[in-house]
Amino acid sequence: MAGVLVIEDDDRIRLSLALALEDEGYAVRGAASAEEGLVAQREEPADTVLVDLMLPGVDGFECIRQLRRGDDVPIVVISARDDTHDIVAALEAGADDYLVKPVAVKELSARLRALRRRGRTVQAMASMAFGEMEILPDAGEVRIGGEPVAVTRTEFRLLCELAEHPGQVLSRQQLLQRVWEYEIGDERLVDVHVGRLRQKIERDSKSPRYLVTVRGMGYKLQR
Amino acid sequence: MTRLRLGLRTRVVAGFAAGALTLSACMALVSYGLTRNELIGGRERSAVRSATFDARVVAAGLNADKPDIGGMLRTLDTGGNRRVLVFHLGKWYSRHAETASTSAVPQSLQRLVGESGQGIQRARLDGSPVVIVGILLSPATALYEIDSMRELDQNLRTIGWVLALVASAVALAGAGLGWYATRYVLRPLRSVATAAQGISAGDLGARLDPATDPDLEPLSTSFNEMVDQLARRIERDRRFAADVSHELRSPLQTLAASASVLERRRDRLDERTATAAGLVVDEVARFQQLVDDLLELARGDLPAQLEPADVAELARRAAQRRGLDPAIVDAAQPGAGGLRWNVDRRRLEQVLVNLLDNAVTHGGGPVAVRIETDGPDGAIEVDDDGPGVNPADREVIFDRFERGRSAGARGSYTGTGLGLSLVAQHVAAHGGRVLVLDRPGGGARFRIELPGVR
Repeated sequence: MAGVLVIEDDDRIRLSLALALEDEGYAVRGAASAEEGLVAQREEPADTVLVDLMLPGVDGFECIRQLRRGDDVPIVVISARDDTHDIVAALEAGADDYLVKPVAVKELSARLRALRRRGRTVQAMASMAFGEMEILPDAGEVRIGGEPVAVTRTEFRLLCELAEHPGQVLSRQQLLQRVWEYEIGDERLVDVHVGRLRQKIERDSKSPRYLVTVRGMGYKLQR
Repeated sequence: MTRLRLGLRTRVVAGFAAGALTLSACMALVSYGLTRNELIGGRERSAVRSATFDARVVAAGLNADKPDIGGMLRTLDTGGNRRVLVFHLGKWYSRHAETASTSAVPQSLQRLVGESGQGIQRARLDGSPVVIVGILLSPATALYEIDSMRELDQNLRTIGWVLALVASAVALAGAGLGWYATRYVLRPLRSVATAAQGISAGDLGARLDPATDPDLEPLSTSFNEMVDQLARRIERDRRFAADVSHELRSPLQTLAASASVLERRRDRLDERTATAAGLVVDEVARFQQLVDDLLELARGDLPAQLEPADVAELARRAAQRRGLDPAIVDAAQPGAGGLRWNVDRRRLEQVLVNLLDNAVTHGGGPVAVRIETDGPDGAIEVDDDGPGVNPADREVIFDRFERGRSAGARGSYTGTGLGLSLVAQHVAAHGGRVLVLDRPGGGARFRIELPGVR
């Protein structure tokens, strides 16, 4: 059974989410604080982590950063906060997806399934080279000048989608559908992930060489 | 009965013009009178002088036997302006015998000269003004000199014209001064009007500068205080709505998750409990929508984040989101690049979704979504197949929690009552407006006009 770790300080939310997600076939463990959650994840890693942002002590943003350190476990934020500022900060800290409370269980379950399908590696796709950058889909690796770069699986899928259509513009909605499997989603997800990816693969993320923005259209990866 | 109401400015300008005209007309009349008297007086004096001189010459000549009066008159230096006539023993003499006329000298002057020995009179001769001086030389002889004042008359007329022109110019200048003065006086009023307009358009940062004029300080101070209070109240309401919605989100999460657990076991519950569980599940969903809409409304005064977006695509997606056929979207100019407008995608999409929801709930379903362009402006129309919107309700349906009373759909109504308010708010954030029209052939047409989006 797939394991989900819910880091949420509100007991009732934690309990109700556990009940509902168990109905959907997940094994759920709860943690009432970031500290507790980080320990639980270290001792017995779950497949997916749900994090609230407003936590006592170490807050959600820091919790995400620490989870992300050397690990690419999918992280989904569930928060009552829906300011652009919070959403962008949480995604920049390393979250893969952001959901605003209250989330319907069906929706949450669909998000978790999509994350699970977003495997580390992409088979059926040949290796590609963009200048100094090499993408090895079957190994789930990106190399810049021969050196492997640590990217999360969402970042990797995003890069592969763009690499599959070199020089072709993909709209934010297209990327949301192909990478996140959203019918209609929040385009900030794409923007922040592109930003994170640029910091890893571009020499100068302010004036990107590979992953360029086409204003009003979307993004493309150029050779 | 309607009375013609003139604006303050018109009245002040008219007053200034009338005042200036009165003053300048008085000045012109007085100076014309004085000049005229002075010029005519001078002319009369010189006429008398020359007549006296001529009289002396003629008188000397008359002392001779058989005087040749005509010849004498011809020796006088009269120039072109003067004519000399002599009345001697009941007979008129002049330079040229044939031109001697008795009618030239009025009877009244002849009588005056006969009685007092000398007389002067102004008259018109052959249509032009003259001054006639008469001098009695002997009881039976009188000399009359007719001095033409045609030139003087022309000069006076010219002066009259000039003065009239000056007077009108002064009146015009007065009007101009009035216009300028009112402009100056009305300027602070205009800045109040501009600020008030800004505030009614939602710019609560608009304030008057209290430092401009000490006389207007009370006005600007109280105006600014009023706006401050208004802004504080609006901000308090906004924050309250936002706080309430945020606080509701956590318990709603618990409710939503628990409701889904109930929902999943509905078939294992007895009928009554299952019905109750169903109600809970439905209402939690509606509650959630209400909280989302409230938060959106509370955030509504944030500026729209404009970026180019394909509106046709946006509209198709909105239709898809509501399970409608995207083919109802009719874009006037499909073109290769699509319809790229500068809009806030998220908010415009919500506008479209809400209008579609409205059409489904109250209008028997949407029949067309039309995208139109007109120069830099764009418009989107959503047509439905319902009973249309009563003209009296076309404003109020955009009010919060207004639930289409006329449609009579209250009992099973599943909306939040905020959908159209949000539409109005989002459209206003784009600087546009929403209109409710009749669709030709029945039904309602909601038209969003977005200026300058292209």
